[in-house]
Amino acid sequence: MGTHWRGMLDRGSRRFGTGLSFVVFGVGGTLLSVTLFPFLRLISPNGAVAQRRIGAAMRRVMGLFIWFMKSLGLLTYELHGLERLARSGQLIVANHPTLIDVVFMVWLTPEAGCVVKRALWRNPALRWPVIWAGYIPNTEGVQLVQDCSRVLESGRSLLVFPEGTRTVPGQPLALKRGAAQVALASGADVLPVTIVCDPPFLTKGSHWYQVPPRRPHFTITVGQPIPRERYGAGVQSHPLVARELTAHLATYFTRNIDAVLNERRDPAHESARDSVRTPIM
Amino acid sequence: MHSEQEIYGQVRRVLAELFELPPEKIVPTANLYTDLDIDSLDAIDLILELKQITGRKVQPEQFRHVRTVGDVVAAVCELMRDETAA
Repeated sequence: MGTHWRGMLDRGSRRFGTGLSFVVFGVGGTLLSVTLFPFLRLISPNGAVAQRRIGAAMRRVMGLFIWFMKSLGLLTYELHGLERLARSGQLIVANHPTLIDVVFMVWLTPEAGCVVKRALWRNPALRWPVIWAGYIPNTEGVQLVQDCSRVLESGRSLLVFPEGTRTVPGQPLALKRGAAQVALASGADVLPVTIVCDPPFLTKGSHWYQVPPRRPHFTITVGQPIPRERYGAGVQSHPLVARELTAHLATYFTRNIDAVLNERRDPAHESARDSVRTPIM
Repeated sequence: MHSEQEIYGQVRRVLAELFELPPEKIVPTANLYTDLDIDSLDAIDLILELKQITGRKVQPEQFRHVRTVGDVVAAVCELMRDETAA
């Protein structure tokens, strides 16, 4: 049997494993939502304690799920600069190439709120866990910015995907200005996280069974925080600062994604690690 | 004293300054959201700015149906007229 056939087999088993992971995630998530999470809520004296416990449980569950996918040989990953996620009260902004970015980020980020699909609030099983965990529905405009600022002002970090949805493959990153508006309204430091999945996997518009020919590898790099005084210095109007910060983040992500991909094509290329060390503003 | 033309001029100036828009794009038929890339949060900044210029109380509800630059001018004219009548 040639390498070609082995590759095909490998691909077939990864397709099966991906399907299995989806089932495990769906069934497991629903089961936990009617068992573990309500139990944790019930034994907690108040909402704040419940939020911390349920948040911690969610992080473990997400970590377990990534371990499961890795064990099935569906993906590999490398993580850089994780220690920078630990500081509280930061606005953590990540690009969003795949369906499981949020799984990675919830696992890796200690004690943070997260903006998630508002459809979850209509899901009978998941509705309460996301409320108890203090997550925020992705509504729009003023409501969303207020909800997000409240989390940050309480000293918790907040995880946001400024694209609002997954990146459309082959198109330039399109960031919504909401994340920048939240940064401005709250005065929080902005911590950019670059997620690269190579070859692309679980992208927007693709089906779960379309697994790539090679096993996908995730490179997650936490950058340097951008302090509030660094963005919009000397710019007059609030809307202009939001535009400037958004444009900066788009450039930052694009540059870092390219750097990571270049490094993977040619390991001698060391720009990836360097560019995240360079402050962007 | 506040002709529609004057108000139009002021609205154009505010839009150009607040959002750094090229003046040639600010025409009465331009849609704020689709043509000028102004979002709902920007709209609040716009309303605050118009409040300063007109010296009138501006309720966001009065701008709910505003879609185009022309609508903004009409809404501001309306405000000024109310004030004169009062």
